[in-house]
Amino acid sequence: MSCVPQVAVATLLAVAGMHAAGWAQGHTAGVPTSPAAAEEAVEVRIRAVLASNSSKEFDTRLASMQRHFNTLFPYSSYRLVKEEQQRVPWGGKVAFDIPGGRYVIVMPREFKNNRVSMKVMVIEGARPIVDTAISLRNHGTFLVGGPRQPEGVLILSIGADTLP
Amino acid sequence: MTCREAITLLPLFFDGELDAHQMRAVALHSARCASCEVELRHMERVQTLVSESVVAALDDVDFAAFWRGIDDRLGAVRVSWWMQLLDRAGSSERRWLIQVPAYAAAAAIAAFALLMLTRAPQPTTQPDATQIASTDNAAVIDSLESNVEAVTVLNDPETRTTVLWVSDDSVGEEGVP
Repeated sequence: MSCVPQVAVATLLAVAGMHAAGWAQGHTAGVPTSPAAAEEAVEVRIRAVLASNSSKEFDTRLASMQRHFNTLFPYSSYRLVKEEQQRVPWGGKVAFDIPGGRYVIVMPREFKNNRVSMKVMVIEGARPIVDTAISLRNHGTFLVGGPRQPEGVLILSIGADTLP
Repeated sequence: MTCREAITLLPLFFDGELDAHQMRAVALHSARCASCEVELRHMERVQTLVSESVVAALDDVDFAAFWRGIDDRLGAVRVSWWMQLLDRAGSSERRWLIQVPAYAAAAAIAAFALLMLTRAPQPTTQPDATQIASTDNAAVIDSLESNVEAVTVLNDPETRTTVLWVSDDSVGEEGVP
């Protein structure tokens, strides 16, 4: 009976600690702290997905894209093989290594009418297999598919989020 | 420094765009390397020819007519009401006309800045799964180039998603899904 107040105090302290940790994470995870920083940065995220017909396994980490993949592509298995996001200033450049010795270069250019304009290059060896300038709705994602892998086909999901 | 390294820096060296360290390295190399020296002389010759051509072209321009045209247009320039107001406010007895709105604007900016600085921080806007699924993912493609046999653009109205599908028979046999 006497331990009830102690449990209550411990619970309160734990809840307070979790709130503090969450607050700290929200403030140290790169959230810009000034309006100037918010205007000058964009977060580019990329996911490399290996699609094949070798099984019927769907990676649960891709749940948000399941409907898209099932509608768009004739594959039965989708596995997330790489996920990365990087912050880049407007006018800057960011590069991502993707499977198969390829890499993706993204250069966000401007944010206008809630759309992010950016240049995207997918490079395989020394040749650009895709070199495009696109504009995408903020928080949107577009897909680049087709590069062959020994186990299937690579599908890249490339998105951009203005910060905050 | 090797010739291979120097040859890429020669144009920058010639234009004086290298830092002191690189400038010295290229200068030392070209002093000892006959082929790089020849390359520098070639750049000098090209610049001389370009300069002579530009000077010759400038000689043919009739600047007298050019300035006459500008002078005519200057006469037609209207002074905006704001510039007229500033001009009037320039006299000491009417200076308050411009000072009062300026102080008001400064106070408004300061109040706004204070509000922004003291506002509670907003949470990060990482899109969750629901957001991604419901976002309009249709991209507008301004330009598209590729070094492979074919790139197909798919715009799916159901998922509102744009897909660039790379088909390259040299590395695989599967085409557009």
